[in-house]
Amino acid sequence: MGKATEEARRETGSGTTLWHVIAAPIVWSVHFLVCYIWAAIHCEKAGRDALLVPAQTGIYVVTGVALVLIGLNTVRFWRTYQRSVTDGDFDFEANTVEERHRFLGHASIMLSVLSAVAVIYVAIPALLLSTCR
Amino acid sequence: MTMTPDKEEELQQLQRTWASPKGLSYLSEVNNSAIGIWYICTAFGFMIFGGILGLIIRAQLAVPEATLVSSDTYSQVFTLHGTVMMFLFAVPIFEAVAILILPSMLGARDLPFPRLSAFGFWCFLIGGVFVCGSIFFGIAPDSGWFMYPPLSTEQSGLGADIWLLGLSFIEVASIAAAVELIVGVLKCRAPGMHLNLTPLYGWYVLVVGGMILFAFPPLIAGDLLFELERLMDWPFFDVSRGGDPLLWQHLFWIFGHPEVYIIFLPAIALLAMIIPTFSGRPIVGYSWIVLSALGTGFLSFGLWVHHMFTTGLPSISLGFFSAASEAVAIPTGIQLFAFIGTVMLGRVQKSVPMLWCLGALATFLVGGLTGVMVAVAPFDFQVHDTYFIVAHLHYTLIGGMLFPTLAGVHYYYPFFTGRALSFRTGAWSFWLCFSGFNIAFLPMHLTGLLGMPRRVVTYGADRGWSELNMISTIGAFIFAAGFALFVWNCLVSLRRGAPSGPNPWKAGTLEWLAPGLDYGMRSIPRIESRYPLWDDPSLVSRTMAGEGLLADAREGKRETLVTSVLDAVPVQVLRVPGPGWLPMAAAFGLGGVFIFATFSLYWLAAASAVGYLVAQIAWLWTGTALIPEKATKDVGQGVVLPLYRSGPASTGWWAMFIMMTGDLTAFLALVFGYFFFWTVHPEFPPAGIAGPGWQWPLTGGILTLASWALTLAARRGNALGHVSTARLLCGAGIGASLGASAAFVAAPVLNGMDSSLHAYPAIVCALIVWIVAHLLTGAIMQGYCLARSLAGKMTPDHDADLWNVTLYWHFALFCGVFGAAVIGGFPEVL
Repeated sequence: MGKATEEARRETGSGTTLWHVIAAPIVWSVHFLVCYIWAAIHCEKAGRDALLVPAQTGIYVVTGVALVLIGLNTVRFWRTYQRSVTDGDFDFEANTVEERHRFLGHASIMLSVLSAVAVIYVAIPALLLSTCR
Repeated sequence: MTMTPDKEEELQQLQRTWASPKGLSYLSEVNNSAIGIWYICTAFGFMIFGGILGLIIRAQLAVPEATLVSSDTYSQVFTLHGTVMMFLFAVPIFEAVAILILPSMLGARDLPFPRLSAFGFWCFLIGGVFVCGSIFFGIAPDSGWFMYPPLSTEQSGLGADIWLLGLSFIEVASIAAAVELIVGVLKCRAPGMHLNLTPLYGWYVLVVGGMILFAFPPLIAGDLLFELERLMDWPFFDVSRGGDPLLWQHLFWIFGHPEVYIIFLPAIALLAMIIPTFSGRPIVGYSWIVLSALGTGFLSFGLWVHHMFTTGLPSISLGFFSAASEAVAIPTGIQLFAFIGTVMLGRVQKSVPMLWCLGALATFLVGGLTGVMVAVAPFDFQVHDTYFIVAHLHYTLIGGMLFPTLAGVHYYYPFFTGRALSFRTGAWSFWLCFSGFNIAFLPMHLTGLLGMPRRVVTYGADRGWSELNMISTIGAFIFAAGFALFVWNCLVSLRRGAPSGPNPWKAGTLEWLAPGLDYGMRSIPRIESRYPLWDDPSLVSRTMAGEGLLADAREGKRETLVTSVLDAVPVQVLRVPGPGWLPMAAAFGLGGVFIFATFSLYWLAAASAVGYLVAQIAWLWTGTALIPEKATKDVGQGVVLPLYRSGPASTGWWAMFIMMTGDLTAFLALVFGYFFFWTVHPEFPPAGIAGPGWQWPLTGGILTLASWALTLAARRGNALGHVSTARLLCGAGIGASLGASAAFVAAPVLNGMDSSLHAYPAIVCALIVWIVAHLLTGAIMQGYCLARSLAGKMTPDHDADLWNVTLYWHFALFCGVFGAAVIGGFPEVL
């Protein structure tokens, strides 16, 4: 068994699973819920005339954390994906473990990008609004 | 093809093993090809019923001041139209089609839990007939398909109960299908079918199955609260006693919005199978479609409040949901572009399924664009509850679900009948439906912008809506004529259609290898590519000659292969059950519980519950985790696989895990209710109203922990061979579970809580009801394991039962301890 094959086997055994693939969207979900619940509770308890701060600050912080987590996830997948020893196309149609691994890596990276975009979208209202009105 | 005598005998044995029973016993069949067809026909039956209701609506609105139906009847008609189309057609048809075609597509002989499919089907049939039948007695639900309180809690008659109980029952069928399909896609793919080679339909089914687990349970929790208010006067939604109708809206739409995608994704999954076939090339952007489907699945959960933009929530809340509603257009768009790209890069072959596909894409696009419009809150304020919304939702549902499904029916008709539909009639029915639909619904955008509210029984001639409504009605009848032609085509072609042969469309995916066989395929091939029939011309002949795996049914038992999740390496031969009446009996028992409870016939409901429990336990006892007569089986090509697996290596463990994930979601939805009340009340728990105290919840939590630990110890002990100790631990576990239940019941009883006084005691008691139900179910399971062990059906080597029960207890532990912390601990720390 060649060294490359051995390396591929080791990497593919642990690098990508379905749980890893959905990690970034899970970060989005948690971010979304934290933003919504934080703002909703704040506005309900403080009244409609209240300022959005501190919930607003909280949203900035969790958005930062979420983007960092998604970024780390992207880098992680980028590195496993780059280590590929196969053809490097976007078809992912070979019947090998390595190709499955690359396929899931690609899906994860692009899902991370989508999640990051969605996280930014969700944070925009906190930038534009200043009260609980 | 010539066959050696051995192979001939093998084939006959296979056919005998998988043959459906004849005569009335056919109804005891559980095989996916039978259940799938019953399911599809039933769903279309309900769809036609819902369609007729739709036509009654259009006839009533054709002219101003019409008196075709009374206002009361009209309310029942539009409520039932929405309910039937969503709950009895759109969701079940996904389950139906998936049950029918998924195993063949993946190279399995059947799904892993055939009796669960059968149970789901019977639940669906009974619940559906019950809900639909109510209109003939004038007691149908009449508060709109989303049943908003206080209208539905305070002014509705029996209809609201029929809606709640009938649909809760059907939700059981959906969750059953989700369990079945998720495990099917992950564990029953043909050897070599790596995740990157799995047909896109399988990916979509996986995503949708996962979504069902998180979307349906909040509605079940909502239904529970709603029914407790209706039957016992616990005021969850009654503002005068601390309740809040918005809680229902949240729980309903946390279900309701993902549901739109639960309907949409499996339907466009059919497009993902059909378009490559007629474009004569592989799908463009396979990985992009997969990741978009996953992304849509997640994002669709961040949209629910866009149905509540006009309820007076703070702008910041609206902003979050508006943003997510715009974001979901990205992955949806990627999928549509991939389909369009496939069509553009291929050579399109003219055919009826393709007409429906293109019609679907065009129609859905319009619905999607108006969706982006109404996702903008200020625009939504203007058109909320007008015909603009009616137009929007019909464009998305008919373009995103009905047309693709009809494309699928035309495409797969030869698959399950062996005959082709007529091209001419098919083309006529498409053009009638497509033009009729647009004539009916395009003007509704305008009617809505002119201010016509939805759900009004009639309107004045001076409003300026008359012409538009007349056009819509004409269109609706053209649409109906097209649909009638489609039904006629299906019925006539059953006898007169041209024989279609095995692969009439020259498709590349596995289901066309040998359509219409009860046993799926002669033998299970090893898969090397995404379109095996295109890439490997000899695959069909080799598979049909029995050269693949598991070519025999030597022991006379129905069997299918189980493979690993990521790379589909064979790991087990799974014995699946044959025909039997127990699933049907269990469904009738459970149906009885819901139906008798609707009419407040509690003794009969209790008797039904006992009947259900007996059928369910008999089903488990006689057909699950059976110890095989030998440890392994040679499936050919030198592959020898075990016949029994337990724990995470077994399909049953995963089914339990998936089921309990859904169950956990429902519990969390109830907890959400508790904290929702805390959020909306300045003082919570309210002063002067008795709570559960902390002592009894703490006792309950500790005993739950004990019961969990005893079960876990029993599993470990049993595996080490200490069978008697394990039995003792199971017995002690039952005691602890009953003790925990008693402690939780003691909390409200001994503290004198009155659940009808205020929403606070009501939500606490609802949580206790939920926890105790789980503890008692856990006790039954511990008793079951004890009995299995005593009967010699569970041994240290064959301990799947105990593994699954322990897994259940992990979830029950969370439910008991977290529940105790919420009801007993939270008021203390405030």
